[in-house]
Amino acid sequence: MSAIHMNGLPFNAILGMEDPKKAILCSLVNPRIRTVLITGCSGSAKTVLSRAAGVLADKEVVNVPLNVTEEQLFGGMDIEATLKNGNPTIQKGILHRANGKILYVDDINLLDQKVAISLTDCVLENRVVLEREGISAEYPCETTLIATINPEGPELSTHLTDRFDLCAYAIFPEDEDSRKEILRRNAEFQKRTDDFIELYKAEDDALRSKIEKAKAILGFTEISDGLLSVIVELSVKVSAEGFRGDLALINAAMALAALDGRDEVTRKDVEEAASISLMHRRNNNHESPERKEKRQNEQDEDREKHEDREPDEGEESCKDEGQRPETGEDDEGEGPVKQPDKDEGPNPEESVEGMTSDDVLFEIGKQFEVIDYLHGTSRRVRKTTSRKGRRAPAESLDTTGRYTNSRIPEGKARDIAFDATVRAAAPYQRSRAPGNLMISINSQDIRVKVRERPSGSTILFLVDASGSLGVRKRMSAVKGAVLSMLRDSYVKRDKVGLMAFRRDSAEMILQPTRSAEYGYVKLSEIPTGGKTPLAEALISANTFMARYSRSHPGEICYVVVITDGRANVPIDPNADANEEAMKIASDISIPDVEWIVVDASSGYIRFDNAEKLAMELEGSYFKLDDLDSDRIAEGVRAIIR
Amino acid sequence: MDKLLFPFVSIVGQEEMKKALLLNIVDPSIGGVLIKGEKGTAKSTAVRSLAQILPWRNSVEGCAFNCDPSMPGRLCPYCKDKVSLGEELDSVNVRMRVVELPLSATEDRVSGTLDIEHILKTGERKFDPGVLAQANGNLLYIDEVNLLDDHIVDLLLDSAAMGVNYVEREGVSFSHPSRFILVGTMNPEEGDLRPQLLDRFGLSVEVKGDRGTEERMEVVRRRLKFDIDPEDYTERHRGESEELTSRLSKARELLPEVSADDDILRAIVKMTTHFGIDGHRADITMMKAAKANAAMEGRTAVSKEDVEAVAPLTLPHRMRRRPFEEEAFDKEELDRCLQSI
Repeated sequence: MSAIHMNGLPFNAILGMEDPKKAILCSLVNPRIRTVLITGCSGSAKTVLSRAAGVLADKEVVNVPLNVTEEQLFGGMDIEATLKNGNPTIQKGILHRANGKILYVDDINLLDQKVAISLTDCVLENRVVLEREGISAEYPCETTLIATINPEGPELSTHLTDRFDLCAYAIFPEDEDSRKEILRRNAEFQKRTDDFIELYKAEDDALRSKIEKAKAILGFTEISDGLLSVIVELSVKVSAEGFRGDLALINAAMALAALDGRDEVTRKDVEEAASISLMHRRNNNHESPERKEKRQNEQDEDREKHEDREPDEGEESCKDEGQRPETGEDDEGEGPVKQPDKDEGPNPEESVEGMTSDDVLFEIGKQFEVIDYLHGTSRRVRKTTSRKGRRAPAESLDTTGRYTNSRIPEGKARDIAFDATVRAAAPYQRSRAPGNLMISINSQDIRVKVRERPSGSTILFLVDASGSLGVRKRMSAVKGAVLSMLRDSYVKRDKVGLMAFRRDSAEMILQPTRSAEYGYVKLSEIPTGGKTPLAEALISANTFMARYSRSHPGEICYVVVITDGRANVPIDPNADANEEAMKIASDISIPDVEWIVVDASSGYIRFDNAEKLAMELEGSYFKLDDLDSDRIAEGVRAIIR
Repeated sequence: MDKLLFPFVSIVGQEEMKKALLLNIVDPSIGGVLIKGEKGTAKSTAVRSLAQILPWRNSVEGCAFNCDPSMPGRLCPYCKDKVSLGEELDSVNVRMRVVELPLSATEDRVSGTLDIEHILKTGERKFDPGVLAQANGNLLYIDEVNLLDDHIVDLLLDSAAMGVNYVEREGVSFSHPSRFILVGTMNPEEGDLRPQLLDRFGLSVEVKGDRGTEERMEVVRRRLKFDIDPEDYTERHRGESEELTSRLSKARELLPEVSADDDILRAIVKMTTHFGIDGHRADITMMKAAKANAAMEGRTAVSKEDVEAVAPLTLPHRMRRRPFEEEAFDKEELDRCLQSI
């Protein structure tokens, strides 16, 4: 990425990147495509491509730095002008400069969530509404947003992802020849930049005129009703929420047709457009029929084994009314959309539809009351204003966290926002008698900083949903326990995430969110059945938390593993599943992440697997059986504290 | 009108959301709407496009606070001064507006600012009106309302509760009327709404995206037509939009004449009791909404059907539930309850 020349690498000189190129071309042709997301690891030429797009479109590329303030982005007060004329005068923001140009955000997943949402909203609405610090304005912002995310970083929320019309995966060519060619072109470009650009000039010019022609055709481009229904079916198939996907697909298909010089959209256009408009909106992990069958067989065996091992004690059978077996739909199959090389990770929206007929859906079992944290000497040592409330302690000494905004102080001002204070004082300078200072500041000008709250704690529940927990409604108890802890987090406004493991994988059911209610829904939808891939689950949780804690500094993270600890799916097919899991557990160590093991095993014969697991993880250990009433919550809390 | 918005009358389905919005326009005292729903389901589009169908209202000419001349009790200090000096308030007919509160708004722009020095020096009030002044008599829209900063939410709550915006600085205070239809949209995945704010909303609707292929096709087809030629599309729907505006205006005029008999009152109370809702706010809101519904249909007597139509908009978000108990507002139970009345 160091190779960004003033002119940039020509568009056609960039090797590979077919999908990102396609997406960008579509956006250059069709102004109804406003937002393009490029996913790719660092070094996959995302930035280079965006610059090249600017050159190709003959538009300036306006960059949004990650540490951008709302002030800089949306606009604010021009202090100099305000001082001079005594009236609040607007200083337009980056979004104003982006009008008629291309807006570029690198690593948008690292941008503040609220800022990212406001930004995409402005781009989609073509305008900026500004109500900040004495300035009230509205200005147009017609721009194409090109943003990138690095899949190694934190994930973009699905809400934000949906705001991107198109999303393309930048795949770095793996073969040696391509890599060599890339190097060669780069070297050439650095050495003889002008010659190099000249070399691709004809090609780039041709592409430019193709875009121009396409723009002219676009107005006449038509799409048949038949294809329209194909599109709608496609988006239903991937269970895309809302209609943005359908519309993006149509707009991209139209652009592709126009680029090809046609005024009629064909099926091929639709197929090509689908890969960049629906992939990031899909909501199901499709399972092929063979694989499903294999799993079902596995599960049958699994269940038989369990029945051998755990004789029915006659009190509650597996088919208790407390559980509602629900059969899944059988028509899922592979979507016609090709899967990207880059796996986005298990889908958070995996729904009940993904169940096989042997899966069982357990209701949430008994919950228990949680003692009153708010008045206990709980872990609010961090002063995270964990209770969102108007009576947040004014004497908060918490001056950590990023300065995001300013406000009028309540009571005594401590954490003064100097810039905002000066801006507040600026309009009055002409009328104030000058003191000894350059700028005269009165008490009503004082503004204090609003800092991004270090968001307290994040708790990831790693729930064992394997068949062994289906016995005697154990899963109901587990769900009850998780719910009790969720409720606890709701009060504290901690972030909670849910990951479940069964069969041969661990799945992220819910990305850490403050919406605990959402967690409730997801929790009730977790099906039970299949084997126990404990090792896999530990690795998944560990990988996720390692990444997560890095991108959320200052947050305390916990992983609560709820399992009987009896692994039976090793990663290495020759290994002993339990030994392997213990080995992995002992290797796990992320600073700032604490592990808690809740033993969910039941029956007379006690296994100490979970206890061993806790030891290997150097975490705390609790028995689910002891959980009744509020014991677990207390126990967990004792650790968390 | 700079940018054309997709016509409200052309939105496919989403009947509950549309109804909730329209009822509030008929009677702003219902207390606004919270629209929760999946992403990309045209929530924002619907609210913003209300601008095309909002009715006309009277306002004092040149008043920054949009004072209503027919409401002498609710005038801003400037208009009050004029009245006390015996001056006539010139009235103009203006269209209600959709005033947007961006997430990036700062406190001073929301509540407005008081120029204390000017007051101290000259003894004259000097107030720079903010969003809450613009919103008076209009519709205040907050997209992604659950992401709004707490201190901004507090300002809104105060105004929404009292209909007055109080600004106090350094012992000097200023207040002006600020009555508005509060409309918020949010995606629940991004976090919950503070309970205090939730209670403020008179009505709530949940927008779902799961629809049949046919309906989906229609949504996409209409949007496509609009995108290709927004002027033409808007023009084609102008008649329908105007018709809706005049229906709203008529309903607003009719509203004071709408009445409900004791049976209706009993039905409402029975229903809120049945669903275990505390406080009178639900009863009052349901009554207002039912009246507005009757007015929309040109009737002056509230019927059971009106109550039936508005109950799903008033009850769900008020049901006293502990967090995490299923927010299952059971429509069947509602039917049973209605039947028994």
